[in-house]
Order: sequence, then structure tokens, then C-alpha cells
Amino acid sequence: MATTTAAVTLTSDLLSDEMSVNATTTCMKAGTTADGLDGMEYGYLDLVTGDEYDLIGATPTASKASKLYLKNHSTDETYFVAITQGTQAIGKLYGGDWMFIPADFHDAAGEIAVTANGGTNKICYALFHEGITKDASA
Amino acid sequence: MATTATISISSDIAPGFGGISESMTLTQAGTLTDIDSTSGFQIRKLSATGAVDLITMASEIVEPKDSVASKIFIRNIGYRGVIDKSVGVTIGVNAEPIGLLYGGDWMMMPLTCIDADDITANPTTDDTVVIEYVMFFEEA
Repeated sequence: MATTTAAVTLTSDLLSDEMSVNATTTCMKAGTTADGLDGMEYGYLDLVTGDEYDLIGATPTASKASKLYLKNHSTDETYFVAITQGTQAIGKLYGGDWMFIPADFHDAAGEIAVTANGGTNKICYALFHEGITKDASA
Repeated sequence: MATTATISISSDIAPGFGGISESMTLTQAGTLTDIDSTSGFQIRKLSATGAVDLITMASEIVEPKDSVASKIFIRNIGYRGVIDKSVGVTIGVNAEPIGLLYGGDWMMMPLTCIDADDITANPTTDDTVVIEYVMFFEEA
């Protein structure tokens, strides 16, 4: 069985006492403890301003247990990448920010899309999944 | 000290993949100034299918600033120490399902914090499950 683990350490001094959270999960296929995610796509690229782009150049199997990591590696803190899913705005990743989400890809409208702002953003992403359908060659 | 988040991912799916280890300091949009507000750490017990709000943006005691650098951490911690990988909770923004957090799974996601974009949780079964979460944002 392939094994993928994701751990996070989150600390903050915004509360009256310091908050510290540690969490680790083993990324399994949907609803099972018997089999781990067994596919991945990993990329590191420049994202130019002006257009919205689908992040994943394929069609992941919908409604599974895929996990998506995305980091904005831009060194300028004013640069950001706007994240949308379908027509829903999710949020913005400024230079240095990362996110890690379960990615549903529920249908063709469930694609994660990214738009660079401020200048060319450098991003890194990794999709851990349990199946994709490659886009047909034109 | 500030608010920081460090992620470490290891995987043997692809030969030669060296893993990911990255940290971020949560800052206000477009600056190096630390983010200044939080919802506080909260838990929500769910025992039936049906979407509920984890965060109702229009009802936050401290109004979050819209469309900046807010983040939310959410984790499915199971129930009474039992983490069940077969019990999933769909996390959504507004009416859009983002994905399923199975037992033990966690997520960190940016937010718009506009009033329509409530953060929802919808269990896939009637099994009891507890979700813990904390939102970091800029005060409007």
C-alpha cells in the first residue's frame, strides 16, 4: 500500500495563552483504512497574470479523497494567487502562503482554478489522488 | 511570535519524491504585518447528515475584512478518541463543496470572509463526529 502522510503544526499568540496544534493524517482512499492514495501529480511553475487557469491538467475522479497542496513561492508579499472552485471564490494565497485541502472535484465545474495578481507568481502544487483521466490529445 | 503554520508531506507514491516541508507566517494581505484576529479555537459535534455553518460570516463578533488573507484550519477528530476513516464530513464554502475530511484528516484553506461565503460542514452519515476549527483574519 502506498503511504502518504500530511502533518501540520499551527501556533499562534493571538489568544490569552499560546495555541499550538499538531495534527498528522495518513491519506487514505475514500472511506477506507485499507488502501492509501496511489496517484500523484506534482508541479512547479510560473503563473502569469491576466487569465484564470485550471490547476490540474487532467480530470481527477470525482468525490473521492483527493488532497491538494498549493504554495505561492513568490518572494514579493504583494503578489497573490486567487483560488476559485467552479464559480466560487475560495480565497487568496499571498507570497509565502500555502494551503492543503481535500479536493472533491465533484464534476466538471469542480475544477480548482488559479489567477495570478501583481506579477508573475511562482507556484508549487501537489495532488494526491486515487485516479485521474488524462485529457485527450488535441 | 506570531501565527505560523508548518506542513510536512511525505509519500512513497512516486519514486524519488523528496517530500514537502514548508512554513508560513500568517500576515495581513500584501504586507509583512502579522495577522491580528482569530475566531478562537472551537469544536462542533455533529450527529446527523445535513449542512450546518461552522462559520457564519455575517455573525462573527469581530467583523472580518473581506477578500484579504484570511485562513481557516479544520480537522475531523472523530468522537471520544475514536477516529473513523469511514466517517466523512464535507466542508463547503457558500454552497460549493470543497471536499471530504475523513477521520483524522485536516485542512488549511484561504477564505474570502465575505458574508455569503459561510463555511459549512455536512456529515456523510448520522455517526457522531467532532470537527475542530480556528479561523485567522484581519479585522474590518
